[in-house]
Order: sequence, then C-alpha cells, then structure tokens
Amino acid sequence: MNKTSVIMATGSLNQYIQYVERVYRTGQGNVLARLLSLRDDHVRNKNLRSSDIASLVEGNCIAPLDEIIIAHLLTVEALLIDDYASANSHQSACVASVVKLLQSQKEENWGLPLLYTVSLDLRYVAQRAEHRDPQSNGKILEKAAESLLACFRVCAADNRSSEEDTKRIGMLNLVNQLLKVYFKINKLHLCKPLIRAIESSPFRDQFPLAQKITFKYFVGRKAMFDSDYKSADEFLSYAFQLCHKDSWKNKRQILTYLVPVKMLLGYMPTMALLEKYDLMQFWELVQAVKSGNLRDIDRVMEEHERFFIKAGIYLIVEKLKITAYRNLFKLVYMAEKSHQIEILSFQAALHMMGQIDIDADETQCIVANLIYDGKIKGYISYQHKKVVVSKQNAFPPLASLY
Amino acid sequence: MAHSECAFSDTGDITTNKEAIQGLCLSMCPQEEVDMRVRESMVHALEAGGRLVKRYGRSAADRDMARPRLLRPFPTLRDTVEYLLLEVTFRTDVPLAVVYDFVNDRLRAVRQDMIIQRLPPRECQVLLEPMVRFYVYFGYRLCEHPMRVYDPVLNKKYLLECLQLILNCYDEIYDEELAADVSELGNHGSLDKKVTNEEVDQLAATICGLELKDQSKTSEYTKLSCDRVLMESLYILCNLEDTNPLMRYHQLPKDLRSHRTLALAYEVAVENMRGNYVAVVKLSTKMCPLTFCAYSTYLPVLQKKALLVLSHAYNSTQLSVPCQAVRKWLSYNSDADVLEAVKHYGLKVTGDSIHFRKADFNKEAVVLIKKNLKKKMDLSIVRDVFSYETTSV
Repeated sequence: MNKTSVIMATGSLNQYIQYVERVYRTGQGNVLARLLSLRDDHVRNKNLRSSDIASLVEGNCIAPLDEIIIAHLLTVEALLIDDYASANSHQSACVASVVKLLQSQKEENWGLPLLYTVSLDLRYVAQRAEHRDPQSNGKILEKAAESLLACFRVCAADNRSSEEDTKRIGMLNLVNQLLKVYFKINKLHLCKPLIRAIESSPFRDQFPLAQKITFKYFVGRKAMFDSDYKSADEFLSYAFQLCHKDSWKNKRQILTYLVPVKMLLGYMPTMALLEKYDLMQFWELVQAVKSGNLRDIDRVMEEHERFFIKAGIYLIVEKLKITAYRNLFKLVYMAEKSHQIEILSFQAALHMMGQIDIDADETQCIVANLIYDGKIKGYISYQHKKVVVSKQNAFPPLASLY
Repeated sequence: MAHSECAFSDTGDITTNKEAIQGLCLSMCPQEEVDMRVRESMVHALEAGGRLVKRYGRSAADRDMARPRLLRPFPTLRDTVEYLLLEVTFRTDVPLAVVYDFVNDRLRAVRQDMIIQRLPPRECQVLLEPMVRFYVYFGYRLCEHPMRVYDPVLNKKYLLECLQLILNCYDEIYDEELAADVSELGNHGSLDKKVTNEEVDQLAATICGLELKDQSKTSEYTKLSCDRVLMESLYILCNLEDTNPLMRYHQLPKDLRSHRTLALAYEVAVENMRGNYVAVVKLSTKMCPLTFCAYSTYLPVLQKKALLVLSHAYNSTQLSVPCQAVRKWLSYNSDADVLEAVKHYGLKVTGDSIHFRKADFNKEAVVLIKKNLKKKMDLSIVRDVFSYETTSV
C-alpha cells in the first residue's frame, strides 16, 4: 500500500488511470475511494494536472469511470486555484456519476466506500463554497444536500439484494451527512423523514457504532429543539456513553447539549465533569440554579451569552429559571418550617433575588405553574394568600417527574 | 464574483436578475383583464367607478402567467399596494369582511407578480411590509367574525407566508452588504443607484434603531414605512407557540435585538413559554398598535392555557377565586366575559366566585374567542396602522 502511495503521488496520468481501473475491476472499494478522494496524497501529484484533463482521460479509460475521474481531477484543479465555486460544481458532477455507477451495480455493495468518500468531500467543498459566497444564504449547501439525498436514495432503494450485498447498510452514513447539513442551514424540519427511515430500518442495529453515535447525537439535538427533553436525554446519553473515551472533542460537543438537558430534568453535573471537558460556563449556572439565585442566572446568561447562543441552548437556559424558582421556593419552605406559606414570603424571596418587578399576582402565577407542572405538591388559597403544601414530599425531586 | 456566477448558473439564484421577466403593465390591472371583466360583469363592488385591480389567479397549464404584458413592474406594484391599503381599507360602504377578502385577493396577485418577476429583496420588502401589517391588523379586527365570512387559519397562513418572505429579504440584504464589503460596490445592475443608497441608509438606520426623522430623505414610497424592528417583533408575536422565531432572535445583531420593541416581543415570548400569564399581560401594556394586535389574536389561547393551570393550582372543593382577580390576571374585558369563559371550559361558578377544580376543566373545548378591547392606541385610525414606525411610538 505504501508503495502504491508513492506511485500515486508521483506517477503519470496513465498510471493513475490504469490503477483506478484495476482496483475497480477487482472490486477494492476502499482503495478506489482513496484514489478518488480529495484528502489523499495523489491530489498533490503534478502529473495529474492538465488544462485539458477531459480529452486526456476520455477514450483512455473505461466508462463510467472516465466521467468520475474527469470530474474528480477537475475538482482538484479548481481547489488548487482556490476556486471553490467551480470545485463545488465539479464535485457535484463527480457524486452524480458515482451515484449512476452504484445504481448499475446490482447485488453488490463494495462501492459504498467510494460513495461515502465523494459525498463527504462534496460536503466539505460545499461548506467552503458557502463560506466564500455571502450571497448564497445556505443555497449552496441546500444544493449539496440534494446530491446527498440522491446518494441516500441509491442505498435506501436497494431492497432486492441479499443482506450481505445490500447497499442499504450505507443509509446511515449518508443520513448523518444530511443531518449535519440540515442543522447547519437550519432546516430541521427536513430531518424527520430521514430519522424515521433509519429507525424503521431492519439494519438499525447493524450499522457501525461510530455512525450510530453520530446519528443519536443529532436525533438528540432534534428532540431538544422539539422540547422533548426525555428523549433528548436518552439519545444524547447514549451518544456520550458510547463515544470513544479518546474523542475528547466529540464528547465535549455532546455534553454541550446533554448538560442543559440533564439540568432541566433535575440532574446537576459535577464540577469535575465540567472541568474535564472545559465546560465551566455551566458551573456558575449550576450554582445559581441550585440556590435559586435568579440574579446570578441573569448575570451568567449575560456573561456567557455568546457561548449559549452559539450552541443554540440559550432558550433552555431561559427555561432553567423555572427550576431556579422551584429551588428558591423550596428554601423558603424549609426556612418557614410550615406547610402553609404566605405568598408574601415567596415574593420577598424573589425581591431579594433582584426580581423587584414581581408583584403578588405574578408570584401566585409562578407558584401556580409550579403546581401545575407537579414541581410543588399543594394548592393556593386565594382568600388567605397562602400556598398550602403537601405534608409529604412537597417539593418532589425533579428527576422523579419525568 | 465573476467565476461564481457562471459556476452556479444552474442554481438559478445568482443570475436571476438577468433572466427575470420584466413586467410591462403600467396600470393596476392589465387591459386584457379589464376588458374581460367589464364584458363578463365581474367588477367587484369595491372597483365600481373604474379602478380595477388585477385579481389573483392560480397558475394553470393553459395560462401563461409570465407574459410581460400581464405583469406589473415594481413601481406599479408599489402604487397598487399603497392604493389598496391607504384607500380601499377605508371604505365603509361594504362590510369589513368584504373589504378584507378583496384586498387579500389583490395582495396575493401582487405577491404573484413580485415572485414571477423575481424582484430584488430591497423592492420586495417594500411590498411585503404593508401586507404583513394588513394581515396582522385585520386578523385582530375580524377575530370575532364567524368562519363563513372570515377564516383565521387562512389569514395566519398568508401572514406567515409574507413574514417568511420578508425575513428572507432582510437576510439577503444583509448578506449582500457583507458581500459589498469584500467586493466593490455598485454592481446591482437593475437598481437605480440613488434609490439604492437611500434604502441602504434607511436600513442602516433601522438596524441601528435610530430614528429616521430626516424628512428630506423621505422617498416617494415611504408613505408606507419600512420598519424591520416591527417585522421581526411580529414574527415572534405571531408565532408564540414556536421556538424558531426565538432562535432567530438570538442570531440577530445585538443592536437590533436590544431595540425596545423587539426586546419586548422576545420577553413576552419567553414569559409565555414559562407560562407566566401575569407577566405577559403586564408587558402587553407597553406594546405598539400592531404588536398589540398580534398579541390580542393570541390572547384567547393564553387564557385557555392559564385557566387550565389555575384549575390545578387553586384546585379545592371549598375554596374559590373571585372573577375580578381572574379578569385582571388574564386581561378579560369584563367580569361577564370571565364567567362566560370559565363556564365554557366546564368550571363551576357561584355568583362571581369561580370554583377551580382540575377534574372539571374540559381540555377538549374549543378556544373561546373574544376580542380584546383593552386598546392603548386608537386602532380605528387605520392609516396610522399601515404607516407608523416603531421608533416613533
């Protein structure tokens, strides 16, 4: 393999074409993928460049490989002169040709690595092109998603082949790429059919673990945006626990969402965990929520606004205020040592926390919502301006509510 | 940018202005349609006297929608919108719901012309903003009308359609400005340079939240104003059950976010998300006329949800809550309205005391719609509703 790498990095165009043809005929999917990857050494090979690649390859190479090689080398050419827009359209053409190739291959799936590679490269190139063209407004990535969807369809539609040869095993790789794009261009509503396709697939459990983790991560984030925190917890926890312990960056990424979701569900992270993953932005928040310190929550939200907004969790933090109210009221209840607590006592506590605009009506409203959510067991007496709480378990642990 | 134009010609976006069809119809209604409708006596009561306005028509295979003679260019569309909103909406000789249906239909035709010609975002926003105002305002005015004369679901559909389009315009303009920063300015082929600069100024002023008081800058079509803050605020308040507008809000530039009208809309949405109906009602007193309309249209939903919460929180066999308290918390117009609502949702009442029992509350009951009459502004001055700016409120 090393020897071939050297040849590929320095060999002639004809050698390259012959080599691609040989691995194609012998069905070596992984090698073929490398030879057509934008992330392989051969892209630096000057012999593979020419202003007239198409005519040099055409007639010199068997169909449909010629189309693929031409599109690939044109992409390389465009990338070398930093022309991401052209690179993107050539790479789209490359993906389209690979899709055609795989469609024609019945009862075999050894070409899947090639499909993965060219589609991943397309995503990378499209992201760059998108970044370079401020007028695109997501349209370049949207277009790339359409190509990826065509790849997905080739896999999903292959239901005649036997289990070992089916291309359906490739579905998840492409779904994950699509989810990445949809999250990037904020088209979350497009995720649902893809998620359903994977969840109802008979290969659900046979997909590679790494892909399953990526998938759960996105499904978890989707559930979070849909305010389905219980499912979000389940998916993100799965992703976090099974993610390789050396993938610090990925684990940190998962935790960015898992921590606030867990907090909403009543589980506070330890300082050690947050320190280990460099997520101490959450620590002050944990402290503030735990002690019902609304003033601190506002301060932390302002201080780390960029971080919370960038991660897309600012709204969850807004919701954590409800937990803070509950914790504050629990402190009042414990201090009063009574099952009947004046609304005024709660209101005074809110004022101490800087919430001076909250009057008796609003205090009652906040308590009313906590009772409705089951976070306080009891009822309000309007006449006595009191909250009458249950003798047992007046403030049930949040974790028990979900 | 030259290379990207040819590389992406297949996306049909960057080269649009070159390929776009240019309308040639300089009156509000193409002559062909005028002749046909006069012949077939299909002139609307609001058109009697001669000013016909192009009707909305579905695209069909046998009709070529894109014929330039049938399409109105931007200046004509702008005049049409202005005529519809600043003249037709004042008509009192026909019922309000008829005015609404008529204007709605004609505005849809304007949108259609706008989309077929692929007008640039700076022109689209001028046409779309009054439309948003129209749907919000009439959504409020007509909320108590029966289904057969007014359909709130359709109104919301058109409203969201216009809002989505106008937000896209803002984003495109923003991106264009970013692009203009990196490349040189002045390649917006079809736009008159003077107008462009003027609108850039306007946009900049809106974004900075500055007051646009310089009268000399008032171009001919700021009779209908341009108010991004208001549009962004309405996007939030017309979608109070949806978190997407809040996510969008977070991504906006900070100076825009901190504008008081928009910050207020966000605060209302967050309090609503937390179920804090008292805070929402309190904040509503600070609203401008159109944000107030949007909030009022949502109020019946808020009231129903809050009554459900109250049924759990004040759940008791002996105790009750006076209806005056509920009226204040939930901004009902009168004690009678409170009693009607609680009974509608299955709760028991003695005199003016409401017995909240969670078992009694009928979740399946339809939302009881009552028009919110606590108006801060005099909303009968329609002209103002279509032209005021949030900076001056």
